[in-house]
Amino acid sequence: MIRAVSGLRMVLAAFALAAFAFFLIGPLVNLALWSVAERWYTPYKLPVVYGTRYWEQVFRPTGDAMASLATSVWIAVLTVLVALALSIPAGYALARLKLPARASFMVLFLLPQAFPSVAIYINVARVFYSLGINGTVFAVVLVHAAHGLVYSVWIAAAAFAAVDKDLELAARNIGASPLKAFFSVTLPLAAPGIIASGIFVFLESLDEFTGTFFVGVPQVTTLPLLLYNAAMGGNYQVASITALILLVPSVLFMLFIERFLRADVLAKVGA
Amino acid sequence: MRILTLACSLAALIVASPLSAQTLNVASAGDQNMVDYVKDYLGPMFEKANPGVKVVSVGTGPGDSGSQKIYEKLDAQKGAATTDFDVVVIHQKAAGQMVKEGLLNKYTANVETAKLATGDNAKNSLGTDVSGFVIPMFQSQTALAYNADMVKTPPATFAELADWARKNPKQFGYNGIKGGMSGVSFVAGWVYAFGGDADKLMKGPYDAATKTSWDKAFADLKEFNKNAVITPGNAGTLDMLNRGEIAIGPVWVDMFYSWQADGKLPPNMKLKLVSPGMPGQPMYYAVPEKSAQKKLAEAFIALATSPQVQADGIVKKFNWYPGIDAKNLEGKLDKAAWDKLFTDVTPAELAANGKPFPIAPYFNDILEGYEKKVAN
Amino acid sequence: MSLSQRNLALLLIAPGLALVAALFLYPLCFSLISAFTGPEGGFSLQAFGKAWELYSGDVVFTVVIVLASCFFTGLAAIIIAGTLTLGENRYIVGTLKALYRWPLFIPFIVAAQCMRTFLAKNGLMNNIFVSMGLMEPLQAVSFLDWRGIIATFVWKQTPFVALLLAGALAALDRATLEAGRNLGASRMRVLVELALPQVMPQLLVALVLSFVTMLSVLSVPMMVAGSQPTMLTVDMAFRINAYGDYATANALGVITYLISAGAAIIYLKRGMAKEGTP
Repeated sequence: MIRAVSGLRMVLAAFALAAFAFFLIGPLVNLALWSVAERWYTPYKLPVVYGTRYWEQVFRPTGDAMASLATSVWIAVLTVLVALALSIPAGYALARLKLPARASFMVLFLLPQAFPSVAIYINVARVFYSLGINGTVFAVVLVHAAHGLVYSVWIAAAAFAAVDKDLELAARNIGASPLKAFFSVTLPLAAPGIIASGIFVFLESLDEFTGTFFVGVPQVTTLPLLLYNAAMGGNYQVASITALILLVPSVLFMLFIERFLRADVLAKVGA
Repeated sequence: MRILTLACSLAALIVASPLSAQTLNVASAGDQNMVDYVKDYLGPMFEKANPGVKVVSVGTGPGDSGSQKIYEKLDAQKGAATTDFDVVVIHQKAAGQMVKEGLLNKYTANVETAKLATGDNAKNSLGTDVSGFVIPMFQSQTALAYNADMVKTPPATFAELADWARKNPKQFGYNGIKGGMSGVSFVAGWVYAFGGDADKLMKGPYDAATKTSWDKAFADLKEFNKNAVITPGNAGTLDMLNRGEIAIGPVWVDMFYSWQADGKLPPNMKLKLVSPGMPGQPMYYAVPEKSAQKKLAEAFIALATSPQVQADGIVKKFNWYPGIDAKNLEGKLDKAAWDKLFTDVTPAELAANGKPFPIAPYFNDILEGYEKKVAN
Repeated sequence: MSLSQRNLALLLIAPGLALVAALFLYPLCFSLISAFTGPEGGFSLQAFGKAWELYSGDVVFTVVIVLASCFFTGLAAIIIAGTLTLGENRYIVGTLKALYRWPLFIPFIVAAQCMRTFLAKNGLMNNIFVSMGLMEPLQAVSFLDWRGIIATFVWKQTPFVALLLAGALAALDRATLEAGRNLGASRMRVLVELALPQVMPQLLVALVLSFVTMLSVLSVPMMVAGSQPTMLTVDMAFRINAYGDYATANALGVITYLISAGAAIIYLKRGMAKEGTP
């Protein structure tokens, strides 16, 4: 009897898992199908003609998919460096030091995520034009960094909070300067969480469209700029392929993130 | 760490510093195919004729929002010495606004082919005088697309359509007014049909009191909407036609053809331009006032509006209606390509039922009236 | 120490704040000024009047959509994270672990693109159901309305919330949970009564981040659902693109901001409560 019940539970659980997998993977399969569909219309439930015509179109010599991807990745890497340079001290301060109105500082970093961005970026572009830095990678990196800072600051703060204070104290006790203790004990221990925060920033930057358009175009073009046109215009094949290309770095990072995102760090995000 | 970052950023700054002087930046508001048209077809052709020149093509997204982004970018650069873009491809609404605000250069006197475009829309953009500032790239037109398997005799007028939609609930779909211009065009066509003096809306003069006369038309449209599907965007309408979820919907003719070429529409889809008519509009080539490459930009537009390019690129490749007057294309094009353009919508129908959009103030009144009285 | 801890903290956080201030707060001021300026200049609430008159329905729609999305995202994340932590079947836990994070890094615009053709009346999902005999073709309905928006948001945000929640659950003291189980409590009860209360803060944080993100997404409501009613981001874009009316668009932005401020206040309150206790 007990066996039968647990068997039934197994079947139920397996069924629930299958349904979950369907809703999770279904849309992605849909994307992959569109990328190789040369003809697909009613009443056919699957593409009528498959082919690589659109892959060839995306990777044609005059197309700049690969160049845009390279620019995208390069900008994303720089964005991570800038964001980390800002968020490591900020995260440490938020996690370890007595800061007045700490929660309001945390919220301040959340703000750029919250406001619909078009109105902001027009004004940023105005400022950047007057400084003469519009259309440079540097300008795009700054805009992306401000946008992604909430992830890096919140997660870095969590990472520092997760480091055992006693270890730091021990280092100080054997005569290490505060700076030395930070670099030889605290930072290495917090590194996994900080790297994880960098990954979030990387991906935010990789997907960003509006800011790049206003401060980067036409000198700097990234992959989402290509994707945006194709997707908004309903060119499903090209949009799907561009999306799949964009997914490659994302999936690579997803596989690695496990190594960096330790449970004890996650437990303190935003706390 | 921070020094490293700074060094990287500085390196990036140097790498990305302004490109060589012989770069022509072309910004197109429109679909991917318009961006690719410059990137793959016009650009290489121009580069070949002008060695040392590089054409950079960027897209800013389809519809008026794409043109708006170009406007915002030029506006943000008002204080700068030169603008980022040398040639812009824009919609009518933005063209009028940019001319009014002095963002565009009066260039067409320097371009020989400007004389080939004599239509009204080369001079007048939604009521703003734009003569001298623009040359049409191509003409586009909205029409009803229908699935000939599901609809044997398509409605020929707006009144018949309203009747048809009542009998076939949820078989007509359009994208409202916020999802793109094909829905806007349908609404404008509805007001032309049921709102009284359509000619006044297209030609002016503007009279703020006119909008009160549309109440009945809007009330009927609200009723009509109950039997219609509101689709997500221009592409959304075509998408639903593709999957057979709706049988009739308003679409841009050029989008319709490119979707058909991409295998995203059933082969038996047809177009119908219902009377009293639906709006269409051209895309314009224009040059920003502060372009650093005015000579090159003019040469580029001269090439783009030459009869041969209009015949091969605009008509044959994309099934767009040419921007310059059609008579100039005679002899440049085989008959089959020309006829294909008019398979469903004959030149006579196009002449009778292809309307311009209302002049800007009426246009805004229609949109806002719709928001207040139909959508809310 | 020559520097007080407090000053050191402010010094360390200053560069990050400076970036946010320069690239966000400063440009935001222009938006605020434009929202509160009348057509003839001077202070005016006219833009807000217009925003309310035309879009009050959409304000409610937006709040409902985002709250519902947060609710379902939270629920799905709790189930996933709970199964990952307390699940006893190795295979199920393993499969779930391998699967659930896939949508995490998919851009919203791509998610919208996937869903538009997946959830449609004759889309891939309904077609599969029909082919499997689960449904008659005539029963097929389109989900491309508010349900589509919610489905897309939940699909995209659940992995993020589940990831943070699973981390928090894994860090809990296993002994308490085991003790609960040994006393005969079902796994469901252990999850709801023992584990969840301890990780509520993390759940709240993840949901606040999701809430704010969903509020500012344009592509999903634009591409997944028809425009009547729609979300405020679409109205903002429409206000700018159709009328060049930045004042009303910015007023809508301010309204959006007030809504996210609501979420931030929940977060702040929790922060204050924690700071209050030594």
